[in-house]
Amino acid sequence: MACLRVSLGFCLFAAVTCAQTPAPAPAHDLTGVWMLRNPESMRAFAGATFTKAEPELTSWAQAKYKEAKASNNSTYTLATTNDPVLTKCDPPGVPRVYFHPYPFEFIHTPKYTLMLYEYDHTNRRIYTDGRAIPDDPDPTWMGFSVGHWEGDTTFVVETGGFNDKTWLDRLGHPHSTQLRVVERFRRVDRDHMQIDITITDPKALAKPWSTTFYAELRPKWELGEISCSGDYLDFSKIEK
Amino acid sequence: MVVPLAAHHGTAAFDTKKSVKLTGTVTDFKFLNPHVLVVFECKNEKGETEEWQGELTAPNKLIRAGWDKHTLKPGDSITVTGFASASGAHLMWIRQLIGPSGEPLPLFEE
Repeated sequence: MACLRVSLGFCLFAAVTCAQTPAPAPAHDLTGVWMLRNPESMRAFAGATFTKAEPELTSWAQAKYKEAKASNNSTYTLATTNDPVLTKCDPPGVPRVYFHPYPFEFIHTPKYTLMLYEYDHTNRRIYTDGRAIPDDPDPTWMGFSVGHWEGDTTFVVETGGFNDKTWLDRLGHPHSTQLRVVERFRRVDRDHMQIDITITDPKALAKPWSTTFYAELRPKWELGEISCSGDYLDFSKIEK
Repeated sequence: MVVPLAAHHGTAAFDTKKSVKLTGTVTDFKFLNPHVLVVFECKNEKGETEEWQGELTAPNKLIRAGWDKHTLKPGDSITVTGFASASGAHLMWIRQLIGPSGEPLPLFEE
């Protein structure tokens, strides 16, 4: 009987120590290297697009979408896709940048926050000095971003001022220069972030397209260099 | 196991129903983007030498798994398991690589 009591006591002790509380998120701070890690239930689509269901496209966008040859995870080769990122090394744009399987980093400065992506030296400058997105911004690949904090742990970023050369995802859903993207980076604890993404574009989307992606902190990682040029574009010649 | 997303091209070129295991000798190691390549020679059932090209993930992902450009070198003995090219070319998508030490090398970042 003594043995039984001992082992019971051991189990209770083990159960108590297993219930670890996640480390809390620091206030107003996303600093670090993050990697998208969506749950298993999203893996079938989240490497290529935002939702399992199709977005509601306008007739303008439907016509453009028919011309797109997707660069979906496992069903394409360079010969079968016309994804401008892969075939021309065009910058990915926002939100297409979510579909590279490489990490990204946040760096806060007093007047702006930088998002650095490992893929092809891509960066975004998110102004936090109170300015607004210009009324008539010059079109850019990665857009013009402004951000502010809601509470201590949610960084809200709105981006506009895009050109219309990029895709929204790897399936080739198109957008116009009226594209606006709102990302709510919610750091739920020290190591986990939920990113609520809402895409609006009156010319391309009949209604806003929204999703939530998930990212994890990678304290030991550093961003390296992945340059979309040279070896990258020539790869089909190197590969047998 | 977490299956990494292909960086530059998908896996459509490989027959994922046909796993092959080959033991051979490294002749070239290209630590480049978008995918690291391992070129090696092995002997087929007729005793003839075949040259194969094995494909890994992006170099940055392998760096985070502990690799560098010197991890493999010509002359190293390796045993690789993976999916062969659907076209019949001697090209494979490597899923396991046993290095010169006799131990599998980590192929995926955490």
